[in-house]
Amino acid sequence: MGRKSREELPHPPLHAILLVATLITIYPILWVLTIALSGKQSLAIADLPAEPAVSDRLRSVIPWPETVSLANFRSLFADQPFARWIVNGAIVASATTFLGIVLAATAGYAFSRFRFPGRRAGLMSFLVSQMFPGVLTLIPLYIILVKWLGLGSTRTGLVLVYTTTAIPFCVWMLKGYFDTIPRDLEEAALIDGAGPLTIFRRIVLPLAKPAIAVTALFSFMTGWNEFILAATLMDKESMYTAPVGLRFFVGGFSQQWGYFAAGAIIVSIPIVALFFFLQRYLVSGLTAGSVKG
Amino acid sequence: MKRTPSPRLRFGIGLALALALGIGLDVFLLMGARRADARVRAEREAIVTLNALTGAVERAGISGDEVRRAVAAWAKSHPSLAAVRVVVFEGISLEASTEPKDSGDRAAPRRLTREEKDLYDRGQRLRAAVETNRQEGAARKEEIEVSEIDRGALGLAGPLEKDGEVVGLVEIRTSGPPPPLRVPVSTSILFLVAPLAIYAAAAQLVGERRGPLAVTASLLLAAALFLFARQTLRILEADRVATERAVAERVVQEARVGASTLPAGAAPLVPSKWDTDVFRKPRPGAPGTPPGGAERRGRNVFFGVAIGAFALLAFFGFGLAARLGSTLARHRVAYLYIVPAMLAMIVLVFFPFLYGVAISFTQQTIYNTGQPLSHLWVGVQNYSHILADFSIAKRAPDGSLAFNYLNFYWTLAFTILWTVSNVAIGVTVGLLLALILNTAGLALRPIYRVLLILPWAMPNYITALIWKGMFHRQFGVVNQVIQIFGGQPVSWFDKPFTSFLTALATNGWLSFPFMMVISLGALQSIPNEIYEAARVEGASRWQQFRAITLPSLKPSLIPAIIISVVWTFNMFNIIFLVTQGEPGGSTEILITQAYKFAFERYRYGYAAAYSVIIFLILLAYGTVQNRATRATEGI
Repeated sequence: MGRKSREELPHPPLHAILLVATLITIYPILWVLTIALSGKQSLAIADLPAEPAVSDRLRSVIPWPETVSLANFRSLFADQPFARWIVNGAIVASATTFLGIVLAATAGYAFSRFRFPGRRAGLMSFLVSQMFPGVLTLIPLYIILVKWLGLGSTRTGLVLVYTTTAIPFCVWMLKGYFDTIPRDLEEAALIDGAGPLTIFRRIVLPLAKPAIAVTALFSFMTGWNEFILAATLMDKESMYTAPVGLRFFVGGFSQQWGYFAAGAIIVSIPIVALFFFLQRYLVSGLTAGSVKG
Repeated sequence: MKRTPSPRLRFGIGLALALALGIGLDVFLLMGARRADARVRAEREAIVTLNALTGAVERAGISGDEVRRAVAAWAKSHPSLAAVRVVVFEGISLEASTEPKDSGDRAAPRRLTREEKDLYDRGQRLRAAVETNRQEGAARKEEIEVSEIDRGALGLAGPLEKDGEVVGLVEIRTSGPPPPLRVPVSTSILFLVAPLAIYAAAAQLVGERRGPLAVTASLLLAAALFLFARQTLRILEADRVATERAVAERVVQEARVGASTLPAGAAPLVPSKWDTDVFRKPRPGAPGTPPGGAERRGRNVFFGVAIGAFALLAFFGFGLAARLGSTLARHRVAYLYIVPAMLAMIVLVFFPFLYGVAISFTQQTIYNTGQPLSHLWVGVQNYSHILADFSIAKRAPDGSLAFNYLNFYWTLAFTILWTVSNVAIGVTVGLLLALILNTAGLALRPIYRVLLILPWAMPNYITALIWKGMFHRQFGVVNQVIQIFGGQPVSWFDKPFTSFLTALATNGWLSFPFMMVISLGALQSIPNEIYEAARVEGASRWQQFRAITLPSLKPSLIPAIIISVVWTFNMFNIIFLVTQGEPGGSTEILITQAYKFAFERYRYGYAAAYSVIIFLILLAYGTVQNRATRATEGI
């Protein structure tokens, strides 16, 4: 019973649709590449003459630079404090990932394995906290972090905020996954005399690797991509993270599209790579987590 | 399992802790208040001296040897003055100084050095303050600068005036801190121990009956707290009287010193004008009248402390604490695992949320953040302004409708339109592409798949800024394409509809891959045999889709739709970076509008109320959705 019995749609029209969709999808990315490699700060691909012909217009639409130059990338690091911003962002995102996983894994495990008063309330409060509008907590957070704790313009402050942003999702995600791990193994270890911490570290955590990978990706993305909180809490230009820095290039009256494009590529590469590396887990994790609620 | 302790013991522990809390807090607050009072007293005394000295210097002719003689006499007769300096703007000169370092070749009179520029600047600041206050006819800027130099020693600077013009300044530095205050240790211990002793005796008589024990403990607590509070208020009142007396004495003393330094023929000093505030206005309230506000505030504080103490007593007495303790002990492993995450959430999520809700009932703006929230309380005024304002549109003279884009209901309607259209586009495009990609034997499938997922992987703020650039009126590629086909360039952000389209394109581009991946996953899990069976039955393509594909997609697609509704509803970055609400705020969604109220119009209270409404909408959505799908059942 092969392909023949199944009445297949003809392939060429399907390819046509997919081609169009793919073109639309990758066009903005090619556009950024072109601007980045143009060596100029303009957001136009090509300079148009006063009375442009159709061929001129076509040239200004096709994402291929007139001259290929790495000048934008070079001066991003030589003339702009971009390296510092990247380092800031990397430190903040990594610390967020680590802290987020440690806190979420322990809490998620307790929510999954133990029955105790306040369990349901705790889980629901995490869920409801996802609906708190960021603007509402932004002003109090500023007061707490900057005025009370003195953590304004520090990476520590940003890490703490990002971690608590990521915790609810990560806890639910990990709790859902822990629920699917059979308890037999843990019970066997318990009989062998292992304590709860040993069981958690030696048995549960290794089994939960896929879910932890998703949690890590999510926490890292939270830290790497966030920009409103970073823009509010980081006053000093030297403490900007990458998103705040990139917006700095093209926000307001600044029109340095070349720097923006080059920076956008550098910032996107690690996150896109991570994404594809963990994508398989991300889908299974998201659906598992969301189906379970 | 431990047994719950006996009522007698429980109320005993409760009483002890409640007393410790109540008395301890009272002592803490008392010491704080006394320290503040002492500081005020020191400041008032120093201001009297400064005003008197200023008067003497002015009468000595502002500059010259007379001034130096007066200052020297003044410093000698005041052990409480560490140093006096007089600066005159004309010639930037230090006219007199008793600072130890200003001796030898640095002795006054001399020109100020470069390092002393801040002294000169302070004088100019005072001059500006005096002139501003005079022009406005109000006391807004401080005409006497008071600063704490180190632990208790004060530095004060006031303007020197000649013919109504500020021509210099007088600066004094007081020596050393006021003597430290004694903590009322013995009284506190007495108030702590005596009620406990009485309770112990009474408990022997009462036995293990809960009611009488509770009454006894409460009465003892109330009596102890009341008496202690009265004692405290008495101490504070005595402090106040002592302050008035000390200031009056200082005035008399300065008048005596001042008279002795006065050159012959000068106008007499005016001691009645020396006890002023930092605006050089007489202190409010004639001496002798008690400040009622402070007293009332004091009583309120004691009342609050007492409520806390009684709650503690009840908590322990009626066995709640014991029960809580045993619960915590029984599940201590679980709680230990949760505490770190919960603590972080409480400090940085739940507390800020409640604080934000409190702000929503105030009229806080950027200009009054220093004031306590209770001073800015306006009740539900912000909410009623937002929700009861129905002026969405009005008819312009030419008959066309003019919309009020700042109206809540306009933004709400726009947000709903935005959410629905985005989710519809995401699901349609995502599902369509998934169905195509699921065709068996299609060439290049993995490549299409990777490329089509790219938008999901890209950081969305970058996506937003890219599309913002592509929709640029003059240089953006979208307008170039339109012109290739002979159209006119469009000013995308000048009309609400076109502006909406730009945001829709951006968000559609970045949101379809999520739906596509979810659908693809679900499609691949449908076993092929079902389709084959359907074909054997003679079902058409459409019938197969309706009867097999769609129902199998439902379990994964519905949660995905639910989650993407919330994402889109709150899609801050796209609106904030692409349309920026242009034109005129017409394309703001609720969350960006709240942000603009807070950080562009600086109306924190109003923005907080706006955000609370957004939260309630989301909460309602979440509850309904939860009911409908029963997602959180059995957690």
